[in-house]
Amino acid sequence: MKKKEFSRFGMSLYFIRGSKALFFGGMLAAVLAALLDMVEPKIVQYTVDLVLGDQKVDAAGKVFIRIFDGMEALRHDLFYVALMVAIVGLLAAVFRYLARILNARAAQKLIRRMREHLFAHIMKLPVSWHEQNHTGDIIQRCTSDVETVKNFMSDQMTNMFRIALLIVMAMYFMAGIDLKLALISGIFIPVVVLYSVFFHFKIAGAFKHADEEEGRLSAMAQENLTGVRVVRAFGRELYEKERFESRNADYTKLWVKLMAWLSAFWCSNDLITGLQMLLVTVLGAVACVKGTLSPGGYIAFVSYNGMLIWPVRELGRVISDMSKAGVSLDRICMIMNSEPEEERAEQSSSLSSRAERKVSPPSITFSHVSFAYGDGPEVLKDVSFTVPAGSTLGILGGTGSGKSTLVSLLDRLYEPTKGSISLGGKDIKDMDRLELRSRIGLVLQEPYLFSGTLKENLCMAAPEVSDEEIRAALHTAALEETVDRFTEGLETPVGERGVTLSGGQKQRTAIAQVLLSGREIMIFDDSLSAVDMETDALIRQRLKSGTGESTVILISHRISTLMKADNIIVMDRGRIREQGSHEELLSAGGMYKRIYDIQTEGAL
Amino acid sequence: MKEEEYVSLPFFGIPKLLPYIKKYIPGIILMVSLGMTASIFDALSPLFNRYALDHFVADNTLDGLGVFIALYVGLLVVYMLDNFATTYLCGKTEMSVNRDLRNAAFSHLQELSFSYYNRNNVGYIHARVMSDTEKIGVLVAWRLMDMIWNGSYVVFVIVEMFVLDARLALYVCALVPVVALLVAYFQKKLIKENRYIRELNSAITGDLNEGITGARSVKALLAEERMKSILGRHTKEMEKRSVKAARHSSFFTAAVSMMSTFALAIVLFRGGILSQDGVMKLGTLSVFLTCALGMLEPVQFMVVTFSEIIAVQVNIERLTKLLETEADVSDTKEVIEKYGDSFAPKRENWEELQGEVEFQDVSFHYPDGDEYVLEHFNLKVEKGMNVAIVGETGAGKSTLVNLVCRFFEPTSGRVLIDGRDARERSQIWLHSNIGYMLQTPHLFSGSIRDNLRYGKADATDEEILEALKLVSADGIVKRAEKGLDTEAGEGGDSLSTGEKQLLSFARALLADPKILVLDEATASIDTVTEKAIQKAIATVTKNRTSFVIAHRLSTITVADLIHMVHDGKITERGTHRELMEKRGAYYRLFSRQYEELAYEE
Repeated sequence: MKKKEFSRFGMSLYFIRGSKALFFGGMLAAVLAALLDMVEPKIVQYTVDLVLGDQKVDAAGKVFIRIFDGMEALRHDLFYVALMVAIVGLLAAVFRYLARILNARAAQKLIRRMREHLFAHIMKLPVSWHEQNHTGDIIQRCTSDVETVKNFMSDQMTNMFRIALLIVMAMYFMAGIDLKLALISGIFIPVVVLYSVFFHFKIAGAFKHADEEEGRLSAMAQENLTGVRVVRAFGRELYEKERFESRNADYTKLWVKLMAWLSAFWCSNDLITGLQMLLVTVLGAVACVKGTLSPGGYIAFVSYNGMLIWPVRELGRVISDMSKAGVSLDRICMIMNSEPEEERAEQSSSLSSRAERKVSPPSITFSHVSFAYGDGPEVLKDVSFTVPAGSTLGILGGTGSGKSTLVSLLDRLYEPTKGSISLGGKDIKDMDRLELRSRIGLVLQEPYLFSGTLKENLCMAAPEVSDEEIRAALHTAALEETVDRFTEGLETPVGERGVTLSGGQKQRTAIAQVLLSGREIMIFDDSLSAVDMETDALIRQRLKSGTGESTVILISHRISTLMKADNIIVMDRGRIREQGSHEELLSAGGMYKRIYDIQTEGAL
Repeated sequence: MKEEEYVSLPFFGIPKLLPYIKKYIPGIILMVSLGMTASIFDALSPLFNRYALDHFVADNTLDGLGVFIALYVGLLVVYMLDNFATTYLCGKTEMSVNRDLRNAAFSHLQELSFSYYNRNNVGYIHARVMSDTEKIGVLVAWRLMDMIWNGSYVVFVIVEMFVLDARLALYVCALVPVVALLVAYFQKKLIKENRYIRELNSAITGDLNEGITGARSVKALLAEERMKSILGRHTKEMEKRSVKAARHSSFFTAAVSMMSTFALAIVLFRGGILSQDGVMKLGTLSVFLTCALGMLEPVQFMVVTFSEIIAVQVNIERLTKLLETEADVSDTKEVIEKYGDSFAPKRENWEELQGEVEFQDVSFHYPDGDEYVLEHFNLKVEKGMNVAIVGETGAGKSTLVNLVCRFFEPTSGRVLIDGRDARERSQIWLHSNIGYMLQTPHLFSGSIRDNLRYGKADATDEEILEALKLVSADGIVKRAEKGLDTEAGEGGDSLSTGEKQLLSFARALLADPKILVLDEATASIDTVTEKAIQKAIATVTKNRTSFVIAHRLSTITVADLIHMVHDGKITERGTHRELMEKRGAYYRLFSRQYEELAYEE
């Protein structure tokens, strides 16, 4: 059952599946383009030398001359040489284009695969995982870390390869022209690379620090904006402004300092490469004067040397960037290696359709259930009760008494630490999670609206319902009038990018949503708290006729919401304090009665 | 998506930015001139090579090598220092402009009215403060520098070539407009593609966000497949668009490098003939070879930079629009002179607020609508009175208290505080005396202590604990391992909504306000706790004027005066007992709330 853990390397391999061939194709094209680039200075060298007079030519030069019908012809047909340069340039451009496009396709395929797999995995992770991790952090892992890994594979890896290849080839050609000079100019490569790697590793900490500061500054602005009403109500504008400005100043100082370092680095690099170029120029000139190097060879050598400088300077940065990729990969591994809710049990039937499910609703039994979040204290202690099929259970309890946890356990959003829960006599542990959830309609206290139209939200759990059914559900949830007031009606966009619904409207949408899904167990987790009393009463009245065939659990602070339930339990600090019908509980004279008294006080 | 429009401003929007960058202009001028100098060095460096070829190599002598080296090294050092100063100034200018713009935007936002916040969502405003400012900083520093550096480099290289050989220079330069047009054409397409990509990117982030923040709902609704397919649709489109964008950018970079080799071919052909005829020296030819290869890339770079400069127009437009937005509620000059503004309050001139509030013929509609929420509304609340407001959703209850707090101002009529028009005194004066608790409590990140101190900056732990006790929230702190140091966190994750409401209530009490406003502040608190709070309210409202809005009528039965609001008008007023005896709308509402219970009796 347990999936194997991904290592950094294993996961890279896993994600790169499907884009490997493209990456290789891109690299091959890059090799060809680089090779063709190397040909150009060589042509220039031969041309210059031949044009200027008889110079010794090497074997390749002889081939070159033969192509152009001998030396004399070449001298008079410089046009063909130029044409050849142009054609080589054209071919190099084609390969360069191919290299980039294949690489881009590979990279995009890779990043898509990463995003989709990560998201699919996250969807399978249990609610407890979601609670332990901050949303922002997870999103960052799925966006910027994924991006970093993609860049590593598509930019840094290929860049490394390309630069290494370029260095080897340029050095080879340079050595062919003048070995000693090539060795001397080659010395600077390790110097620049090591210097750059050293610098980038040194500065990495400062970069990270600056990034974190930016994150904090950004979070501060975000908080101020979301809490603007609180800021105003307390008249703390000045405090906020000063706080922001001082953090802003700190952040800016950090970057200016970093800029000084970076500028110093770039300029010292300029110095090193400038001196190296001087060395090549002077030694090259000396070699020419001595007659060991032809003028054409000198020009070609200087060209090759020029080709080397930028890649070598880049190499250090690329190497240090690669270390960031490792961190990002670890952060992604953390998600991929988190244990998902276990896969569907083998024997379970496929999800039954809505019509098939319209069988009699099941009974619910909690027996000796205890629960604690992680290592925390128990929030439920030895809870036992039974809800007979088709009956309604009311749950009353103070803030933090464990009411919501109770229903979360039923939906298997969490697993009880002790005890068992059964549905129609069957332990829910043995049921497929998805099938279980397909039978339970849970209306949350703070329901989440997805971006999309109102209709899309309503049909979230039941895509195939008719408009009449939707209208009926809206009616029951007392949402009809609200919808009619929207100019776009059911097609009104809601969620983050749409119309902002009030808390009560959201709750009513969630009720309609669950009603439409036609599930056999309905749970209303304080889902009318934001609705005014009048509407609350109306909805309950309509619900009563609508949920006749379902087993219902009602959670509320309001006695009036619960009093008609067949059975009511009163929760207090994770335990069931009282249990019975409204009348029984009243005559028992306990907590329920006390709450009842408070709520009815003044009613007469 | 409206995020990505094209805007074109006169002079690239620089005039609009002028007030904010004025003080950096000398620095920018210095930076630009240093950058130009550096580009001259870059353009002229091949001349060293020329000298080496035409002097040392051609004349077969090493005379003057010492001077050559000394000159080279000397110029190199100057060049290096110049480059250092340029990049450092550039970075510093960028960061300073960023900082100033961010500060300007942030402090302006502290003064804008709630109507602005109602019109724009937080994400949108946040992007103005953080990302627009950043892009503008990059514009006035790096983009400007890129243009100047590349521009002057190209110009100097062209001049250099014309000086050496005008005809050959002309041939090579013929490629410049070709490259510029080619790049401009593809860049335009690329920008369009990039716009889609940015939109898709935010869509994907949105999908992730929904899947993660809505995880509980997704699971309960079995919407996993649906969520995956939405994301899949976006990632697929993303792949398509990104590859298309890569095609454009690869095409023009490949084309530019090809053009460079064409330039090389031209130089080799024409220059070869010239040097064959002895007209052109080898060194000059080598200078041409270097120039021809090196001048087209800066041209490409300039075109790309130019299109980026154009793209920043949108950011300038959005940011300046924010900075130009005027607050709907603002203090007059005279008021500010006497009482100070939010950032510089003159507390010494403040009168003590007594707490008498009066609405005189107030009519009000929200700035973004024209439907009146209140019409000719009159209400007088004596100092220290406990006023309850009851009515269905949308009746104007919250509007009423928003007007008391002067978060909005009446469209017509007046709100009097202690007998004087609220507008005669500063907002900060009023806000410093008001305790306001919202329906959705908002806690800041930081500890419980930090959050409570928001009400009173110098509150001691004893005071804090006392306030907590008053609202029966001391249990929260006692239960928590770290006590007052408990992180209230990302919106106070570890706390329930009810607990957050209690904390925000304690926070309001610490501020010791003269006027207390509770807008549905106890909706998520259980009955027992609520009862405790009611008692607390009774004690703490003794010497304060208080406004209480509640759905749960049990909260307000003790109020001195209950107002039943319907369609922006007061339909009934009186104490609970009076209203119950009257058997009107209040009685009906109250009875309905306990309808079922009443039948039982």
